[in-house]
Amino acid sequence: MRGAQPSRWAGCGLLSPVLLLLVVAFFAPLAFMAPVSVRPYRPGVGIGEGFTGEHYARLVSDAFYLEIIGRTVLLGLSVTFLTLVIGYPVAYFLARTQSRWRHWLTLLVVFPLLLNLVVRTFGWMAILANRGLVNDLLMALGWIEQPVKLMFNFTGLLIGLTHIFLPYMVLTLMGAIQNIPRDLEHAARVLGSGRLAAFRDVTVPLSVPGIVSGSILVFVLTITALVTPRLLGGPTYQVMSTMIYDQFLRLLNWPAGSAMAFMLTLVVVATIGLLNRAARRWGVR
Amino acid sequence: MSAAPAIRRLRAANLRRSGAMAAYLFLVFFFLMLPVVVVVLASVSNTSYLVVPPRGVTFRWYRAVLDNQEFTGAILYSLRLALVTTLGSIVLGVAASYALVRLWVPGRAAISAVLMAPLAFPAVVIGVALLQFYSALGVSGSFAGLVAAHMVITVPYVVRAVLASLHGADAAVEDAARTLGANRWVAFFTVTLPLIRPGVVAGGLFAFIVSFDNVPVTIFLLDVRHVTLPVKIFTSIEYGVDPSIAAVSTMLIVATGLFLVVAERWLGFHRFV
Repeated sequence: MRGAQPSRWAGCGLLSPVLLLLVVAFFAPLAFMAPVSVRPYRPGVGIGEGFTGEHYARLVSDAFYLEIIGRTVLLGLSVTFLTLVIGYPVAYFLARTQSRWRHWLTLLVVFPLLLNLVVRTFGWMAILANRGLVNDLLMALGWIEQPVKLMFNFTGLLIGLTHIFLPYMVLTLMGAIQNIPRDLEHAARVLGSGRLAAFRDVTVPLSVPGIVSGSILVFVLTITALVTPRLLGGPTYQVMSTMIYDQFLRLLNWPAGSAMAFMLTLVVVATIGLLNRAARRWGVR
Repeated sequence: MSAAPAIRRLRAANLRRSGAMAAYLFLVFFFLMLPVVVVVLASVSNTSYLVVPPRGVTFRWYRAVLDNQEFTGAILYSLRLALVTTLGSIVLGVAASYALVRLWVPGRAAISAVLMAPLAFPAVVIGVALLQFYSALGVSGSFAGLVAAHMVITVPYVVRAVLASLHGADAAVEDAARTLGANRWVAFFTVTLPLIRPGVVAGGLFAFIVSFDNVPVTIFLLDVRHVTLPVKIFTSIEYGVDPSIAAVSTMLIVATGLFLVVAERWLGFHRFV
């Protein structure tokens, strides 16, 4: 950078601090974890020497782990579907409305996104617990005798995670819908299609890129979420990330935990790759 | 003449449609805000257990939070961590973005992808990988290690916001300053930086929030003497809840709300999300 003529390598010089950071605190730790995941582990003794594939083998053969992996993926798909269905009309409204409240309504979507995740989940605990808002209300109305179990099961996680990730879906879809020229919908209307047909045949197909990227985002965030599943699922109703958490901080079985971490990464990378490929294929047509 | 009833019918249909839309929007926003409102209500209850709607009104739980050194210590530690992380990721992120847009860099596309990689990675995986790596190096629990970990996940936000601003800023202005005799540093700090300021501020705000809120990386890297606020709340909940957790949560809700309003007034925050 010294002198009048910038060195050919000035760009590399400016990039080197951030690349160094990523090597030291991102790539190296991940690479370091790979050999740990194939080490044997003896409870009470610790990490042994040698090589074993048992941690990976157990993940794809043991019914206990398979159930947790299946549950995680099912949760990811359900939350993605729900946020898409609930969020699309909201995104459409926010993208198209001329209302002067638009910015403030958009900020109302952004607000939960910025609010601490633990706080939002804590709110759901107060609503869904056995002595929570919903059960108190239903019992006061005399509709139920015993509290309905809304937490520590699939229902609780589904409600909580849908709430947490709805704003991501709405904002992604909003961006995509804003990019569709309004004239195209008007043209369809002028050419005689009904409001619904114009929406179905013009708006929705043209917003597919937004639907795909919003779905990828929400699916990945859901299957990797730790805080919400932990608080709403408790120590017993587990998903992949809470299982990893327990292996590291409670059971201290780092080799098994490392194998699970790579498994989770594999699911994420595979999802992103497959959906992007599918999207490109649709996009070409 | 026969048009009048038709227009009335159309108008009625429009009204019904917008009425249905308004009702739907109300339901969704109610769903979005419900847990927030519940937490605020629970924080003023004059009971030792969590209950909504609150029984009585008291502010003693706020007092309890401010008198509890574990909470105040956690708040200060979180603020310090988020501030250092934000400053660090602004410096590194702006330097990297500038190099990518304005200077010669080999393998530009690959480097951009590498910078964004931590965003696509499960945070919990980054956390456990760093836990093992740091303890192997003997630096577990260090503040510097925690800052480095946070910067890995905040730098992409800064880079994304600053790249957008840099693409919008005219490179010719900086060249003009250079022609008129300013060296590269002066030209950057007096011409380019003011031009990309909105992107830098937005990226910095994102970095601050992401760092302040983070649990899945932080929880694996803390030493026993320090804890961040979200991790403190997270672990407190596992040991049983009382309204003081709702009170400290409400403080966060108010702080976030103020932050959002100020950011919107100041630089039109909605353009960056």
